[in-house]
Amino acid sequence: MDDRNMITVEIDGKPVTVEQDTTILEAARRIGVFIPALCSSDLVDPYAACRLCVVEVDDGRRKKLVTSCNYPLRRPVSVETSSEKVMRNRKTILEMMLARWPNVKLISDLAAHAGVSEPRFIHPGADLNPNACVLCGLCMRICEQGIWENIINFTGRGADRSVRMPYDSRQPHCIGCGACAEICPTGAITMADDPNQPYDAEMVRRAGMRVTEEMIKYDDEQCDMRGVGTAHLVEIMDAYDLLPVMNYRFGAHEDTPKISSDVFRQNYFSKGKPDGCWLGCTMACAKAIEGFRLKTGPYRGEKVLVDGPEYETLGGSSNMGVFDPDFVVEYNFYCDTYGLDTISFSTMTAFIMECYEAGVLDNVKTGGLEIPFGAGDAALELLHLIGRGEGFGLIAGRGIRYMKKYFAENFGADPAFLQDIGMEAKGMEYSEYVTKESLAQQGGYGIALKGAQHDEAWLIFMDMVNKQIPTFEDKAEALHYFPMWRTWFGLCGLCKLPWNDVEPPDNAETDEPAKVPGHVQGYCEFFEGVTGKPQTMDSLVRMSEKVYNFQRVFNLRMGFGRREHDVIPYRSAGPVTVEEYESRQERYDAQLKEDAGIDPKGMSSVEKVAALRKHREKQYEHLLDAVYKRRGWTSDGVPTVEKLLDLGIDFPDVLELVRKHGG
Amino acid sequence: MISVNGESLDWSPGKTVRDVIREMNYRFPLLIVRIDGRLVPRGSYDSTAVPDGAEVDIIHLMSGG
Ligand code: SF4
Ligand code: SF4
Ligand code: FES
Repeated sequence: MDDRNMITVEIDGKPVTVEQDTTILEAARRIGVFIPALCSSDLVDPYAACRLCVVEVDDGRRKKLVTSCNYPLRRPVSVETSSEKVMRNRKTILEMMLARWPNVKLISDLAAHAGVSEPRFIHPGADLNPNACVLCGLCMRICEQGIWENIINFTGRGADRSVRMPYDSRQPHCIGCGACAEICPTGAITMADDPNQPYDAEMVRRAGMRVTEEMIKYDDEQCDMRGVGTAHLVEIMDAYDLLPVMNYRFGAHEDTPKISSDVFRQNYFSKGKPDGCWLGCTMACAKAIEGFRLKTGPYRGEKVLVDGPEYETLGGSSNMGVFDPDFVVEYNFYCDTYGLDTISFSTMTAFIMECYEAGVLDNVKTGGLEIPFGAGDAALELLHLIGRGEGFGLIAGRGIRYMKKYFAENFGADPAFLQDIGMEAKGMEYSEYVTKESLAQQGGYGIALKGAQHDEAWLIFMDMVNKQIPTFEDKAEALHYFPMWRTWFGLCGLCKLPWNDVEPPDNAETDEPAKVPGHVQGYCEFFEGVTGKPQTMDSLVRMSEKVYNFQRVFNLRMGFGRREHDVIPYRSAGPVTVEEYESRQERYDAQLKEDAGIDPKGMSSVEKVAALRKHREKQYEHLLDAVYKRRGWTSDGVPTVEKLLDLGIDFPDVLELVRKHGG
Repeated sequence: MISVNGESLDWSPGKTVRDVIREMNYRFPLLIVRIDGRLVPRGSYDSTAVPDGAEVDIIHLMSGG
């Protein structure tokens, strides 16, 4: 039951209690009372066009006929759904409809239900098509209200009224989502093209439409992906101490509200224009900023269109200690323009900023750049230097792994310190999450095949907040399932956001809500619909397992596929500096005591940092052991011959390679 | 005293699920709440009181890239 004011009414003598403003139609449905309703759907606003849903309402003073689909209940009234007056009215409407569309099954069924078999009149413009359009308006309303497009509409008047695309031509703006065809009750709209010739197009469309329905009904109250996209995560990550601030030293900042999703919603993002990466996507979480005037670089002074920012770009900005939305948009634009990725750029700039503050770098070494945390102007200058391939940009642009070596060799910096604060794994910069309090996520980054990216597994909530995976084995199981599952999206060229950024209404009642089983089922149907081969959750994961293991062997061949390559910088596992430790002293002291069994009383901060580090590094090694075991790999992280054969991988050179590495 | 995801939290009469979510600063929208194993529907966080001594699980799902 909802928390809003409840109200009790009587429908055909049966009492029913509903939230205020529920329509009569909805209330009747809840107690199983049938009211015919042609132009109504819970996916669109009421329209009251067909008038089939008329009922008689008695408010104690008078009785009146109303359309039940748009009549909100605000007082305790009594309702009759098939009084004599109602039936007379309804029959007349149905007779007219039947005369006009005699072969539309839906109409003849509704007429038969109301006791009408033959109309009393003849309609001069009778349409004999069994799939004739009955002018319910559902299609154009779902296109406008549900999909946020506005492609089809009624044209003409009276008997000439019909649903059309503008100028009766194909509309390039129609995203082909199929929602209009799915909602059409008569089959008047069908999808014309199946360019990929799927085995069962209907199955594919139905699976897609389920996600579309969820987006229409729940996105506003869930993640608001269509409103702000992944930017909604900025304020959330800040609240959980997970938003990287100043090279991942901290997880939150008092200035985060300045770059929160609300700022972009209010002042930047173009409104009401869905923007999907692919035609047909109804999650449409891409966002655009129009008419942004650039302040720097080769296009300075020009007004441009900017694609974004998404969460990672915003988290990258806090990571550089810059909380200025204009800066975010500018660096987003120039990264796109130069062909750089905002994650790599921001993470490596955060590293440079920390090096600058720690004295590893100075103005001379950077060629004149003063670049402490928060220096947005300097960050942009660096971005342009990288783009042009000049000066310090030539060093920075090669990434953190290169800089660590370069700074140690040329500037005499301490390599151990650089290793601790240089947030990369396998040569790739970390994406924008603080992982210190989630061992599983440290593994998620460290073991990931491509380098430090969270898209194989994002386990921080499961691990740190929900405490659902307390043991090493639990974490290893999660680090088996999720990377395999997420790899599957890559195999199929699918985006994974519709999997977990909108949730089916019954997800909470399933056995494993974190896996969103309803959506996994949808993907099984999608695959079957395309290929004709039925699937289960296990069979999809098995597909990935083959590829994933093969990729690991590929890494091995390229010199990246062993335990030593799954190391992580200590900044991602715990506090490197005393300042970091002291900023969360209570938390770390408690962990020393409870998790590591060391009493922090009387210890200096330096000693505490060292003790905690020893404990956490040991934990990470345990985790690697557990994950490798779960995946059927050796303790050096190499897939065994047995595992590969079990997966059907038997190329002699592949087996030879893993054998050579003890597999 | 109640426990929320294994952490202790003060209890006071009339404390609702919404109050607990607020106190824990749980800002994430995709939550599943169980009190002593019983599912609390999303629409009734304001009207569901948490009894003293309850074990509350507030499961956060995942979202984002
Ligand atoms: S396919 Fe989608 S975008 Fe195109 S007209 Fe139908 S509802 Fe609108
Ligand atoms: S095309 Fe279908 S959905 Fe659209 S108005 Fe006609 S009957 Fe209704
Ligand atoms: S369903 Fe109410 S007027 Fe059509």
